[in-house]
Amino acid sequence: MTSSFSEVKSRGDKFSTKLETKITFEQAPEHNPYHVQQQLIHGYDHLDLVENCQFLDVLFLLLRGNLPSKQESKLFNKLAIAIINPGLRHPSAQASIIAGVGKSDTVNILPITLGVFGGQLDGAGNIEETLRYLRKAARKPAADFVEQALNHEIPSVTQLYGDADTYANILLDTLKTYAGTGKIFAWIYQLQFYIYPKNVGITKTTITAAILADLGFQPRAAASIMQLFSAPGLLAHGLEYSNKPLTSMLFETDDNYIIEESSDVK
Amino acid sequence: MSNSAPWEQYHGKVITSRGGWKIGQGVKCCGYDMMTELVGKASYMQVVMLNATGRLPSRALADWVEAIHICLSWPDPRIWCNRIGALAGTSRTSSVAATSLGLLAAESNSYGIKPLISGVEFIQHAWQQVASGMSVEDFIQEEVKKYGGKPFLMGYIRPIAKGDERIPAMELVSKNLGFSTGKHLALAYNIEKALNKQYGETMNVNGYVSAFLSDQGYSPQEVYRIFSFVVVSGVTACFSDTEQRIEGGFSPLKTSDISYKGPAHRKLPI
Repeated sequence: MTSSFSEVKSRGDKFSTKLETKITFEQAPEHNPYHVQQQLIHGYDHLDLVENCQFLDVLFLLLRGNLPSKQESKLFNKLAIAIINPGLRHPSAQASIIAGVGKSDTVNILPITLGVFGGQLDGAGNIEETLRYLRKAARKPAADFVEQALNHEIPSVTQLYGDADTYANILLDTLKTYAGTGKIFAWIYQLQFYIYPKNVGITKTTITAAILADLGFQPRAAASIMQLFSAPGLLAHGLEYSNKPLTSMLFETDDNYIIEESSDVK
Repeated sequence: MSNSAPWEQYHGKVITSRGGWKIGQGVKCCGYDMMTELVGKASYMQVVMLNATGRLPSRALADWVEAIHICLSWPDPRIWCNRIGALAGTSRTSSVAATSLGLLAAESNSYGIKPLISGVEFIQHAWQQVASGMSVEDFIQEEVKKYGGKPFLMGYIRPIAKGDERIPAMELVSKNLGFSTGKHLALAYNIEKALNKQYGETMNVNGYVSAFLSDQGYSPQEVYRIFSFVVVSGVTACFSDTEQRIEGGFSPLKTSDISYKGPAHRKLPI
């Protein structure tokens, strides 16, 4: 049999001839249309922002279109520090130190470590799905979702190495002071009250998703923000190892390297 | 027993079914001795498929997969992932960075690698439905209902263009390598026939690959793993071109090329 329909015709889709943005306005000097004389970010002069604003406030502006209120700014900062360092044991940090100790080009350390942090193990891999879920679920009482949580049916609400995540629970309490009035944060706090004693719990991914949702971020922005906020700790570990000898990395002995029988039939 | 006990067996150890290098003893690869059984005897694509699935395919099947890799990546920098490579070249990144970033870009639900998972799932699901007695026409109607009456069947309808020149090219490859039409591919053709009759839409290369590899016994995730680097050659090609031209010479934009739709100049709040 063969396909009878291999003739190729354009669908005539119209692509843009010009890019457009609500974020950046750039004015060129007269002598070179590719240079910039003035830049606005969502209407604010970039140099005014340099002079008067904090980094995370400008990040918030870029992503949300307006500068944060004092309360939003504080919460955004607290979240950024809460997840700033996944720690050396996290697979993404281990990847970072491999990139460092292996003398990978330093411009590649962040893409490597953040790529691994994009996985679902205590990382950004399912935060988009989590945020979508929480926005919908928080319309009903958290008590209605206990069974689903215990059955691991709520994205990122789970166990870490066999138990509810201890440190996520500590962070949840720490952040309550700043995030407690947020509807979705309050919802996960309530859920945790029911499920943590039964050894299932929210994770750092859940906390991040809830706070970002309360701050008005869209699901598709969440993974990148979580990667961005965790990047400093991951990078620090890679750079720490970038001047160490190759033998400072883990390299299991042959005795501890076990090759299982292959299922392939030769 | 501690709840973390399942992780203790891995603590301080590497346990793998794929193989590895034991210094002084050689390299094992999915049960094969790499230097004596694979090097010079198996093709590169056979080993790629072996590592991705744990099963060594026939040379003919690996040659088929290699041919479809050629079909699925061409050096046009207007294509999403290739454009990443071209932009990386004009920005003077390294070739490895450019190529890796293009591969990451192809991790998309809209094009590239992920639709292959959905394509294989679709045709295997279709086969189950039809094998249990549903007509091809009814199956299509069920699928069309899921998309609000639009015929968005995975593996059918090609973005930007109608028709797919890669299918006849691969049909010839299949014939020359001695492959016959299996049950999934036969069904894929029947779906195409019915879909074209009712909606004027046809199979795309994803549909063809998904059906062919389903006939060869591969799962959706195995196909995804095999095709992890499917766009590599086109991305590298586009990087290589722009890297050798004037820096910033690919897609240079003047400030006047951008249409600003944001707020007018405003003062910072005090």
